[in-house]
Amino acid sequence: MVQEKVIVIENLTKMYGNHVGVKDLDLSVNKGEIMGFLGPNGAGKTTTIRTCLALIAKTAGEITIFGLDSHKDAVAIRKKIGYLPGDFGLIPSVKVKSYLKYLLSLRECNSTKKMVSLAERLELDLDRKTHELSKGNKLKVGIVQALMADQELIIMDEPSGLDPLVQQEFYRILREEKKHGKTVFISSHNLAEVESVCDRVAIIRKGQLVVVEDIRVLREKTGKVLEVEFSDPVNIAELKLEGVSEIHQDNGRFILTVHENLDGVIGAVSNHRILNMTLKSYSLEQLFLKYYAEAENQKRGGK
Amino acid sequence: MLGRITYMELRTGWKGLLIFGILILVISAGIVQIFPFYRDSLTEQLEGANKVNLALPNEQGGNITLFWEPLENATSYMVMEDTRVSMVTAKIAYAGAETSITFEKDFEEKRYYAVMAVINETSDPVLIGIATTEKGEDPFKELLKNPAYSGFTGGRSVSMLEVKGFMTFEFFGFWWVVAGLFIAYLSVSVIASDFENKRMDVMLSAPISRRRYLLEKFGAMSIIALLTTLIAIAGLAGGLASINALNEISAEAIFLSLMSGLPFLMVITAVGMLTAVLFQKVRTGMGVTFAFVFTEFFLYTFGGFSKSLEWMKTISIFKYWDYSSVIIDDLFKSGDFVILTVLAIVLVVICIWIFEKKDIPT
Repeated sequence: MVQEKVIVIENLTKMYGNHVGVKDLDLSVNKGEIMGFLGPNGAGKTTTIRTCLALIAKTAGEITIFGLDSHKDAVAIRKKIGYLPGDFGLIPSVKVKSYLKYLLSLRECNSTKKMVSLAERLELDLDRKTHELSKGNKLKVGIVQALMADQELIIMDEPSGLDPLVQQEFYRILREEKKHGKTVFISSHNLAEVESVCDRVAIIRKGQLVVVEDIRVLREKTGKVLEVEFSDPVNIAELKLEGVSEIHQDNGRFILTVHENLDGVIGAVSNHRILNMTLKSYSLEQLFLKYYAEAENQKRGGK
Repeated sequence: MLGRITYMELRTGWKGLLIFGILILVISAGIVQIFPFYRDSLTEQLEGANKVNLALPNEQGGNITLFWEPLENATSYMVMEDTRVSMVTAKIAYAGAETSITFEKDFEEKRYYAVMAVINETSDPVLIGIATTEKGEDPFKELLKNPAYSGFTGGRSVSMLEVKGFMTFEFFGFWWVVAGLFIAYLSVSVIASDFENKRMDVMLSAPISRRRYLLEKFGAMSIIALLTTLIAIAGLAGGLASINALNEISAEAIFLSLMSGLPFLMVITAVGMLTAVLFQKVRTGMGVTFAFVFTEFFLYTFGGFSKSLEWMKTISIFKYWDYSSVIIDDLFKSGDFVILTVLAIVLVVICIWIFEKKDIPT
């Protein structure tokens, strides 16, 4: 089945003087998916997103969104985009409601129904004055404004900093949007933050694309990191179980990379008295190392 | 929806606008209230001009006699002599108790004599009057021809005894500072604050072209400039009516003199917006726009200092807002109005052209 593509980026290069923002980037986002865009700070995520929205000019390459040229047809494209900037600014001293209504009217939308329901779900008080808001509440305003006009494509640049419960609600909202056929393109510097919501992730580093991967494949490839600390000494050999690819010992602490058989591993671990245990996703840096090592191996193998 | 940005700009800024509006109303209506007092004190001073008399000799090389009315409780008198009415390079020609002096006319140029009475040693001397060797000239009127003053009147001589003259100096002389700098500040900040407060991304992610964004902001500024002008007109007219001076100057002249300044304010707006787009910072933009307004003012003033510097005037926007032409000559220069309007439009077009090419900073 040929996937309908909403965003197609080809050979995108953006230079800031001599400094590389993004280099030869190829990326596409399919209709109806939630695509994560991962990379450390300064990797080029914001540059890519802002070039898509024609907020900055591209140095080279092509971007088409809904089949239209991102720069020539910028106004037509923006009719279908809801966007949360990485740095979201408010008009001071007005009610949140007024500011959101203003932004709604700029998006040629008159219905405040969705705005109200989103605010309720994210626990945002619409009658507060904008200058009274905390950082987290400002972000909520940003999220509401990106979603309230019911646009087909939602682009969000690092929506992080919500309380865990609100964060879960936010992801539920994104999944619902997806169910309604919306496309979501969301950037983050933290894999754990977006992996529960994304279908695919693109990883970018130093302005260049490292990999685009289905989230399930990524999980299988990278596995989980299980950190466990026992009260009594445990022989490392006991932990060499099925599905465990790597084990590091750090004093009484064991760090296991688990690809499958998670229940079996946990069962084996629980035979001992556990002081502390955490299960984490791979960090981006670890992911990079993994993918770079893979790429290097392939290069050597090819020679 | 067209006009939303314009509307929001006015809505969020209404408090500041209201305060400024009241300030303008108070200034424009209040300043003319001073006029009757000013006129009375000036009349008193001008009467002093007749207190000093100068008798010129009939033939070359004869004697000049300078005599003045004695002042009660004066201990002595001082006569200052200068070739300029401003007396900035004056020398003491006489000091003593006499009330007249006679001296030989051994010079050709025009000279001025200021007579002062010394009351006692500790206080400053009191001016009795000024006389000139040029027949039929009034030194006080000449004072007004000083280029520094004529900048306000476009070189016309006006009497400060009339409300027209008073308005030209005391109201219009600083109206451009009040209105011009207020408009300069606003026009920079309506755009630069969107950059500084990181609102530009979200504004321009809406289906709004950069051209429309700028035009709507310009629209808001046009409304503010118009309101400012109308409030000043109302204030001036009301103030003049309250001192019964509307028979000296028509309401129409008040209206047109301030209205002819509207495109002047629009040029400042366009420059402010241009600097906002170029520098994207409120402070930098404001500094540059203020510098522009003052440079234009100095070009106009210096241009009036000498014939060879006249060219400076033609490149100053102040030349094209000739309020005294309306007030004193009853002539509204529609050509100047068009020139400034066209200039404002050209600047806005340049502003749009630059903005469309610029990257929005994060």
